[in-house]
Order: sequence, then structure tokens, then C-alpha cells
Amino acid sequence: MSAARLRHPLAVLAAALLVLPFAMRAIGMTDGVATEIAIFGLVGLGFNLLLGYTGLVSFGHGAFFGLAAYAAALLQIDILPGHVLVPIVFGTLFAAALGLLIGFLALRRRGVYFSLLTLAFTAMIFSIVFRWTAFTGGENGLRGMTRVSLLGLVGIEDQRRFYYVTAGIVLLAAWALWRVVHSPLGRVLQAIRENERRARFLGYPVQRYKLIAFTLSAAVTGLGGCLFAFLKVFVSADLVHVAFSGEILAMSIVGGMGHFLGPPLGGAFFILFREILSEYTAAWQFWFGLLFMAFILFSPSGLIGLGSRLLAPLRRHREEEAAMAARVTPRPRQEVPAFLRGARRAEGALLECRQVTKRFGDFTAVDRVDLALADRRLHALIGPNGAGKTTLFNVVSGMYPSEGGQLLLAGQRLDGLPPERVVAHGLARSFQITNLFPALTVEENLRLGAQARDPRRFDAWRPYTSLATVREETRALVEFLGLEGLEGVPVSSLSYGGQRLLELGLALSARPCVLLLDEPLAGLAAAERERITALVRGLTEHMAVLLVEHDIDRVFAFADRITVMNEGRVVVDGPCAEVREHPKVHEVYLGRGRDVLFADAARAAPTRGGAAVLRVAGIDTYYGKSHILHEVSLEVRAGEVVGLLGRNGAGKSSTLKSVMGLVAPARGRIEFAGRELGGHTPEQIARHGIGLVPQGRRLFPNLTVAENLELGRLRRRAGDGIRWEAERIFEFFPRIRERLGSKAETLSGGEQQMVAIARALSGNLKLLLLDEPFEGLAPAVRETIFVSLDRLRREVPILIVEHDLDLVLALADRVYVLDRGRITHEGPAAPLRADREMRRQVLWV
Amino acid sequence: MEIAKHVGFGPAVALSPVAVALLGILFERFILRRFYSADPILSLLVTFGLALVAEQAIRMIWGAAPLPASMPQALKGSVVLGDFLFSRYRLLLLALVALVLTGIWLLLNKTPFGLIVRAGTRDPEMVRALGIALSPILTAVFALGVGLAGLAGVMSAPLAGVQPAMGTEILTAAFVIVVIGGLGSFWGVVYAGLLVGVVRGLTVLFYPPAAEASMYALMVLVLLVRPRGLMGEKFERFE
Repeated sequence: MSAARLRHPLAVLAAALLVLPFAMRAIGMTDGVATEIAIFGLVGLGFNLLLGYTGLVSFGHGAFFGLAAYAAALLQIDILPGHVLVPIVFGTLFAAALGLLIGFLALRRRGVYFSLLTLAFTAMIFSIVFRWTAFTGGENGLRGMTRVSLLGLVGIEDQRRFYYVTAGIVLLAAWALWRVVHSPLGRVLQAIRENERRARFLGYPVQRYKLIAFTLSAAVTGLGGCLFAFLKVFVSADLVHVAFSGEILAMSIVGGMGHFLGPPLGGAFFILFREILSEYTAAWQFWFGLLFMAFILFSPSGLIGLGSRLLAPLRRHREEEAAMAARVTPRPRQEVPAFLRGARRAEGALLECRQVTKRFGDFTAVDRVDLALADRRLHALIGPNGAGKTTLFNVVSGMYPSEGGQLLLAGQRLDGLPPERVVAHGLARSFQITNLFPALTVEENLRLGAQARDPRRFDAWRPYTSLATVREETRALVEFLGLEGLEGVPVSSLSYGGQRLLELGLALSARPCVLLLDEPLAGLAAAERERITALVRGLTEHMAVLLVEHDIDRVFAFADRITVMNEGRVVVDGPCAEVREHPKVHEVYLGRGRDVLFADAARAAPTRGGAAVLRVAGIDTYYGKSHILHEVSLEVRAGEVVGLLGRNGAGKSSTLKSVMGLVAPARGRIEFAGRELGGHTPEQIARHGIGLVPQGRRLFPNLTVAENLELGRLRRRAGDGIRWEAERIFEFFPRIRERLGSKAETLSGGEQQMVAIARALSGNLKLLLLDEPFEGLAPAVRETIFVSLDRLRREVPILIVEHDLDLVLALADRVYVLDRGRITHEGPAAPLRADREMRRQVLWV
Repeated sequence: MEIAKHVGFGPAVALSPVAVALLGILFERFILRRFYSADPILSLLVTFGLALVAEQAIRMIWGAAPLPASMPQALKGSVVLGDFLFSRYRLLLLALVALVLTGIWLLLNKTPFGLIVRAGTRDPEMVRALGIALSPILTAVFALGVGLAGLAGVMSAPLAGVQPAMGTEILTAAFVIVVIGGLGSFWGVVYAGLLVGVVRGLTVLFYPPAAEASMYALMVLVLLVRPRGLMGEKFERFE
């Protein structure tokens, strides 16, 4: 036999089970203990299907164990005396039915809530069992069970005999579980554990899968319970106690939930621990509890995790191979795989949005949008921040229901369908922030996408490798994306470029006829952008592609049709060349170019700034692996307003966040009022005198205006910056006085903006950071805010990020322009304000 | 009980919650804090582990048998109000609960501490951007919760007895009430607690064996009809 065969978990388990009674005898334990170990091993395996593979923590499995035991016992005592096998089968089925019921109820919630619900259900079942003494015997238990023979063939009264029967059953169940884990269904469970939402967007109805896993897990646990009942020839309420559920959980985690044999190892460990330590102290559970906590704190992967860490030096070369592989640059092919070439050739629009609307409270994110996507066309959706592009994507792909309007794909209504059904109709999407299955390999990620369409995706028995079509499609996709050699690499180890490529690939694996790409080029270097652009162009020959992208140069180079959105509405929709020169589009991006009516037209000379208040020198900032800012340097001097301009995704907000300490720069220095800010926490930086008015205002919605202001001044009383008292604030923003007692969530956009600015002014302030203060505000309100900010310039230096060029150029003295994370222009605002041509040069394509 | 033996019931009511709260602070500071940014399920597991360990520790120190918990002489007996007979101790309990509820309400709504807590549940990042450090606040919140649990334990001792498993029993009841009332809602929990109490009381009157199960039945109903709880807020991290 090959070495790999020998290491197969089932072989190891079989060998262990064979040897166990002898090993137990050797250390002075009985065959009864050996049987208990086998049973707990089984329970661990069943529990781990839910915990390790699906990622669901249940505190309720004690109920299945105990109730199955009761069911078996009662059947034997009252109805079928002498039988053993039938009660066991009955008990197991009973546990499965119970699992289905409890699972259905508890899975209506997720995460922590779900786990606590399972706890509540177990407690409920325990209280019923405990009190219903007529039926269950309460804590005295039921007597009258017998264990004589199995089907009249094998005598099992003898401990040793019963052990081998149990071991046989355990091995059989383990084999069945092994098959489940390696079946298409089992692979989906792991996907759910890694990223439940993405699994839905690949087309999997995840609730159903979770329920199946829960039921199976309950059944296996129940089987263990029945065997235990016959081991002890006795059942009592103790079996159903919550504490026992906790012990099952503890066993599994101590053993190691990441490995098939982890929990059985944990079970064996638990029982041996109990047997050996209880000879020395009655408080062995105390020590086991401590051990459990120690494992969670230091080695969540359990004993098996410890073991593999010890063996790590032997495996190092394999890890190095994987790491090297992850540094290889994928090179996509030109030829689109056969399975992606749609046979469908639709005339007219393939995807249609008619008057699609989406509101969040009283904020209209998408306002009666009409969009028509033709087959085999590349259609781009562009627009400034807050235009509603991603929201539109979310509505189309099923993440949010639309409120009014219709969505049609090849004539079929899509509105109101959940994501998995939308995918089934042939619409797939990629995500702006990489949304993959991190612990799974590259190949597995793609395979899951292909498998979602296979009729055998609920199969729990057949090995997943037997799905030939899925295998072929995955292979074709791997080649197309240029990811050969990287198939076995876990996705979390891939480079950022590789991950973005895989993100695209995952959307393709659903074999869409309409592909939605959300900023596929975000954060990529130039060469990678080239490659992905070429890939997308190739794909357009076979399917309809709608993409959101901020790299406008590229969009104008390769799109067929462009829709421009602004503030939730469609501004322009037409062929590429037409949109590029359209005056309305220029207006949206570059402003009108004439002086904003309410600005002080007589302000000829910009304020010459004084000493530098803020100095940012060469910072590099990353979000995870995405390199957002490249050596950004800027300065804000006393008495001036500095504008930070640039298109979406350029890194403007990230710059403000880096200054505020909300995202720590990886390199570079930030100096403020003579102090180095490196390593300081945001709260410290705020107390030094930097006030942030973030994008979207971020008032505390559940608190009143007065309370929001109070929070602004609470910990910022000390310091030598400006600090506005309540009277001063009311004088500046009279509206605030009127709304003092109202909850922030009831305020209009303009009122919220005033409160947000006032909140920053309430405490020690030496530099004001404003992130898109005019976003979402009506023109009249913009005027009010503009005037206020203009007056503020005399009191405190301001660094403002704003994409409305007319407004920000009228306000600022100097500006910096950011493009793809780099400063590309720096200078006074006046020339840009006056000269529209210059604006075009500096800010447009 | 240990403290009561030395100083009498009254001071014990004040001191034991404080002692427990101190333990809570240690736990939060050194263990729980590590899991704030991790999967919430790990926080759950580690506190669960603590419950296991604590129960066993109690067994080790004080033994597994229930301890006699005597009510102080002054609080025994009953009081007649109109047509109703109330036990003195239970009246005291009611008064204490009302006091605690008022105290917490005042703390949450009228103090800066409460202000920070209410803001922090919605937008912890913004709270920090306003110069307010959240860590000490979180420790204090945890200690407060722990202290209240301790107070509940002390007060329920004369009624329900003192035994090692009393922690787990009340935990499930507490959780059921939170599910019914809704996560994140002060008044939701108050109403739910009252509702559960009333339903339980009525069930005891008409069909005693089902008394305990009645609150679970209520929970199942709420889950089916209004999963977020009667007055709960949306907390994406937990849903």
C-alpha cells in the first residue's frame, strides 16, 4: 500500500479502533471505557460536520444525543423488548427529525444568535425531560433495558463483543461521513463556512445546505446516543443536560476542528483525561475547562494543530513551493473557453432596467434609472461618488429589492428574486472588494462556481471529482485566466492581482450571459490593468458586460456604450464617442467652470499661508493587500484652505483617514503642530487637535443633536486650538438651536452636515478635515454650507476633499490632485478655477 | 454567602457584586479583549469556557451540594396589601429591581458614560475620531454587566438556593428574554422580562408542568414571527 493510503484517515481510524481495547487494558481501563471512546469519537465526527466543515457552532447537540438514547430505550422497553438494532435505527431517525425541526427554527438567525438559540432549545428539552418523570424517569432514569443479542445472531452481552459491534458501526458511520465531506454537498458546506454571501452569489441556496448539514449532524450524534444507551443499559436526564453539549464542543475544539479526525481525537483525550484525572481529583472538569480556554486562546486548531506545528519543519518545502507559486504572475489567454461562449444571441436589449428605484430611508440612492444592455457589448457605468452605481449593481444582482421599476433579463422579470435565483437566470457579478473563499484553493474556488449549475450539486454521496463537466469547465477556466501552477494555492496567499483576477474568474464560473463587473481594475498596477482589460474585451465577444469603473481613460478606450450617473439619476446614455464630448458629462465631472454665484468674486489674491500646520511626507497606505497611496506628500499651512481633488478611487478619503490614524500608513511620516503622528491612535490624534467631518456625516443616529455635540466636546476640552461654545455654534448655524432635541436620524442632509461640522468645532480644533461635505445636498443647502466654510477659513486651516470642482475651487487657496494614489498636480486654485481648459488637462482624460 | 457569613446579609448584597465585577474586569482585560475584532463566535466560546471553569471552581471551593442560604430575619414573613399577600423578601426584590432599572436607565441616558456607550454601539470608529478611547469604556460595561449578574445571584440565593449549576440555569432564561425583547433594546428587555414572568405565572396557575416550557414556547413564537425580537435593532455582526 502506498504511504498516502496508509495515512488515509479512515485507515488510521480503523487501526485505532482495532488496537483500542488492548491499549485500554494495558493502562488499566475496561472495555467499557474503550466503547465510550469509540462512541464519543462518533459524536465528535458528527458534530464536526457542523462545526469544522460548515462553520456553525451548536450548543445543542446534547439534546440529540440524549433524546435519541431515550427514544431507543423507550422503544425497546415498551414496544419491542429484546430488540437492539431496530431501536438504534429508530433513535437515529428520531434525532434526525428533531434536528430538522430545531435546525429549521434556529437557522432563521445566524452567527452568535444561532448558537445561543441552540443553547436555548437544549435547555428547553432538558427541562421537559427532567420534569416529565412519568415518561422519562427524570433524573432517576429509565430501567428495564436489555442488551442480549443483535438480530438474534451475535451475542452482545459481553463487553468486548459489544465493543467490536460498536466499533464496526462507528467505522461505517465514519466512512459515510467521509463520503459526505468529499461530495459536492460537502464542498459547498466548506464554501459556506468560508464566505456564505459569496456562495449565494454563485447560485447556492445556502439555507437548504445548512439545514441538511444540521440534520445529518444531529442524526450521527443521535446514533452515538443510542449506542451509549445500550452501553450503559440505562438512560437518564443527565444525557440531555446543557453541560454535556458544552463537553462535546470542548472535545471538538481541543481535538482540532480543522481535521476530519480532530474531534475523535479530542473525544479520546477527553475520556482518558477524565478517567485518569478523576483518580486524583474530583475537579477534573475544572482542569479540562482551563485546557479548553487555553486552546481557544493559543491554539484554536487544537491538538492536531499543535501536532502539525511540531511537524512543520518536515513540511516546509511544500509551503515554500506554495509561496513561490503565489508570486508568479498570471497571464490570461485570449481564447475564451467553450462553455462561456453563449449560444444565445439576443436582439435588442438583453438586460433592461426600467425606472429602477432604491431608497434608504428618505435618501434616494437610485432614482428611476433606465438602462439597456445589449448582448455582446461592453457597457460602462460611470459617475462621481455617491452616484448610485454600486447600489444599482446591488439591486440588479439581487442583494437589495428594488422599490418600483422593473428588471428584465431576456424578457424575464428579475426584480424581487434572491441572489441565487438571479444567478440561475444567467446574471453573475464580481465585487469591488475581493470576496473569495480564503482558505480554499484557487481551483476549488472556481470549481464551486461551476458546480453550482450542476444538477448533482446536492449529492452527498458521490465524490466531487466525479462531476466530469464541472472538472472540465474548471480546467478551462484556470487556463483562460492563466492560473496554471497556482491551482493548489490557498487564495489568501495569492498576490492582490491574482485575487482580483480570481474575483473575475469566480463570476465567470457561473457561466453568465450577462456579466456585471464592479471596479475590476481597482488598485491594480498598469500592466495588470492591461491584462484584465484585454480579458474583458475578449469576453465581450460572447456575453454582455456591464462594468463600473473609475479609470475613465480606459473606459473611453474600450467601452461600446457609456451611461453616466449622478446623484442617483442617469445624466447621459450613449455611444462612447458621444459621451466623451458631451457637455453635461463635463459639467458633472469638471463643473461649470464659471464662478459659483455665491462665492466672493472679489477675492483676487489667495491667502498666503503661514507656517505649516500639517506636513505629510511620502506616505504609503494599504488596505490589506491593495496599495492605495503611493508616496503621497502634502502640506497645509495656517490660514489656508487646501483642496484634495481627483476622481473616485484616487485615494482622497484614504489620505484623510491616514492623517486621522484610522488607517496606519505603512511608510512615511505625518507631522502635525510640531508632533509626529506615527503610531498614535485616532483618539490621541483627535485630541491633538485634528477634527474629522467624515463622508456621509456619520452622526450617531440614535442620539439627539445636543448629545452628538456633547460627544464632540467630551474629551477635547484641553488644548490650544479653537473651541466653540454652544452660543457661538448657534450664531453660526441657527438651525441647530431649533433642532437640539431631535434625534440625528430625523435631520435633513443639510442639517446633519451642519451638526457634523459643529461637532468637530465643539472641541479643541487646530485642523479641520472635511470629506465630501457637499455630497447629497440640494443647491440651496450647499450655499449655506459654503458660506459657513468660507467664514471658517479665518479661524482654522481646512483640508477638504470634494469632487464638485466649482465649489471646492472657489473655496480653496491651494489644491493637490490625486490620481490612482499618486499626487499628480499641486498648485494654487485660482488658475484651475478660471480656466476650464486647464481643468480638463489636469483632471480629465 | 461566604461574605454574608462574615458581615451579614446587607453588606453582602453590596460587596459580592463588586467582588465579582473585579473578577470580570480581569477577565475582560486579559482574555476577552483579544477577541473583539475576531469572529464573535470566539468571544462566545471563551466566555462559555469561563462558565465551565467557574462552575467547577465553585464546586472545588465550596463543594457540590447546595448551600443553605438563609434569609435575614427582618425580611422573612409577609405583608398584606389589600387582597394580596406578598412575601417581604419578594417585595424587597421588586424594589431593588426597580431601583437598578432606574439606575441603569439614568446611567445610559443621563451620564457622559452612557452617552459614549450608546454612541459606541452604532459607530465605534467615529467615537474614536472624536478623541474618546473606547477600551476603558468597554471594560467598564463588561464589569457592570458582570456585577449585575452577581447582584442577581446574591438576591436569588434565599429564593432558589445556592448550587454550582445556578449560573447555567439563569443564563438560558436570560438569553430567552433577550431573544424575545430584542438585542440592543433597553425597554425591549424590560418588557420581555415582564411578559415572560406574567406568562409563566399564568401557566403555573393553569397547567403547572408546562410552566418552564412556556417561556421557550414564547421564544419559538417570536422567532417565527419576528426574528429580530419585539423591539430589537439590526446588528449585522450578529445576524
